[in-house]
Amino acid sequence: MTCGSIDRLLYRLAFAAAFAAAWLALTAAVCAADEARDFSAAELARIAAHGPWPLASAPDPGNRVSGNAAAIRLGHDLFFDPRLSADRRVACASCHDPVQGFQDGRATARGLLTGTRNTPGLLDVRHRRWFGWDGGHDSLWSASLRPILDPREMGGNAARVARTLRGKAGLDCHYRQAFGKPPHANDPDLLVNVAKALAAWQETLVSPPTPFDRFRDALQRGEAQGVAAYPTAAVRGLRLFLGRGQCATCHAGPLFSNGEFGDIGVPFFIRPSGVDPGRQGGIKRLLASPWNLLGSYNDDATRDNATQTRFLRTEHRNFGEFKVPTLRNLKLTGPYMHNGSVATLREVVRHYSELDEDRLHTDGERILRPLRLTDAESADLVTFLESLSPASPLPPPAVPSVVAACRAP
Amino acid sequence: MLLRGRATLALGLPGAAAHAACPPGADDGAVISKDGLVLAYRPLAIAGEDKNAGRIPMAKHFVLELQLCDTSGVSAARLVKADATMPEHRHGMNYRPQIKPLGGGRFRVDGMMFHMAGHWELAFEVQAGKEVTRFTHDLRID
Ligand code: HEC
Ligand code: HEC
Repeated sequence: MTCGSIDRLLYRLAFAAAFAAAWLALTAAVCAADEARDFSAAELARIAAHGPWPLASAPDPGNRVSGNAAAIRLGHDLFFDPRLSADRRVACASCHDPVQGFQDGRATARGLLTGTRNTPGLLDVRHRRWFGWDGGHDSLWSASLRPILDPREMGGNAARVARTLRGKAGLDCHYRQAFGKPPHANDPDLLVNVAKALAAWQETLVSPPTPFDRFRDALQRGEAQGVAAYPTAAVRGLRLFLGRGQCATCHAGPLFSNGEFGDIGVPFFIRPSGVDPGRQGGIKRLLASPWNLLGSYNDDATRDNATQTRFLRTEHRNFGEFKVPTLRNLKLTGPYMHNGSVATLREVVRHYSELDEDRLHTDGERILRPLRLTDAESADLVTFLESLSPASPLPPPAVPSVVAACRAP
Repeated sequence: MLLRGRATLALGLPGAAAHAACPPGADDGAVISKDGLVLAYRPLAIAGEDKNAGRIPMAKHFVLELQLCDTSGVSAARLVKADATMPEHRHGMNYRPQIKPLGGGRFRVDGMMFHMAGHWELAFEVQAGKEVTRFTHDLRID
């Protein structure tokens, strides 16, 4: 018997008022829980679109050492090696800390100097189309080269990188195994090779399925128990996310990001003076870079992997746009936004709820409206967002094995 | 369908394909007519990506193939512009597509991407002599 037919039956039995009232209360409670999980075909399709997880992945055609065991080990070791930096104190892992979802928990990054942008987490990073908050890079490897040279982050150079590689037998050997030659400071490929090894390792960073993924899969398979295990508050939050909130317009698909850029009215002023031009600056940097996918360091001779760069179009609205971030692993990656200006998920939700429309582009998107959520609705949305993170803390990533040729005799 | 397109390219005999190409058949996708011109378009399946040929994927690049016909058969008109906007959102695509003539009234459009779900309006401009005909087509992407 469905919830609706129980209602009708009770209606007919209304003459037994006291009896009916008691029943009504009981079934209403049961039905409320069930009906919350009663999805229309359209809703089911929209929920399904946020999976499956993890995503399938193929080697990166632009990186010839993608998936190469020696490169993966080399990339791992370099990621944790502070000797790449000018003061020998800053490693990739100083900002991208494995136990914090590969970010640092600070509002803006601190390397040799303090930066103006929030450090993004690196879990699932292989699936991005654009890298950096402004999409200034079109490959994982070129995004991994930038911090080595950036004077605010690591301030390194080719000579220092070569010295680091030669200074440790394991690094030197894995470099030779991956690239078939010794590391040389005057080899124009050196920095790119190192970046490609760093990328090969980062490609292995994949986040595990979340409570949302288990719910989504159970729903697909019609497994009542799995569906029921997902908290009712998260289901209500999911409905807000897909419906009135229109969040999935930008935070789409299994990554909860369409991989593109938007302006949600986060202020882009930089203290003491200046602005972060966001996507506009990112496009400029990208097109000026010798390391973009249209350049000669792309290992895909067909350039089929350069579609996004080849067809890129610039628009006035790019000024002040930032990349739509993934919403996976948010529990690990606060504070939020390109400048780390929002400390908690509750405050993120308040931002969308009380949105200052004057701050949005007037000629831009007509998607965002202040949602004016109640406290209960805000809490539901936060519960849903939290369900997109792993339920328990992540173990540190396994150390990739040393390749046979590099094992000590 | 795909085979015929390939034969056109490989043999460089647009005339031969022309006969079979017009009027557009069921395989040619959506058909729009205006001012005696007929335009058919369909998304091509992208290798290794969305296997549902004929369905435009959301937030992924896709390729369109177009066929232009008129009352006499293959049209000599040229596709000069292909673009798309989301009228309600007041924005277009983040990418500027490029058009490649394949011969026989057939064109390939590379670099399209619908980066959001919802209502998109496709717009094509077709030029015959000095005359430009603008075709639009409404789509729902989800
Ligand atoms: C000083 C802190 C800091 C250090 C050190 C650092 N990063 Fe980052 N990383 C950042 C910040 C900040 C960004 C965002 C940059 C932007 O928006 O332009 C970033 C972005 C990235 C991205 C793009 C991620 C995305 O989702 O868009 C990758 C990949 C990356 N870093 C890898 C590395 C690697 C590899 C190293 C070491 C060679 C490294 N980082 C060193 C702070 C740091
Ligand atoms: C118009 C596209 C768009 C819509 C709609 C949208 N977002 Fe966002 N979201 C973004 C962009 C762009 C950012 C990054 C902004 C920045 O850093 O300046 C962002 C940032 C976030 C962040 C911070 C993530 C991080 O790692 O820093 C969260 C959480 C979030 N959005 C949740 C939501 C929720 C919940 C909704 C619906 C109420 C929503 N978004 C609707 C585009 C959108």
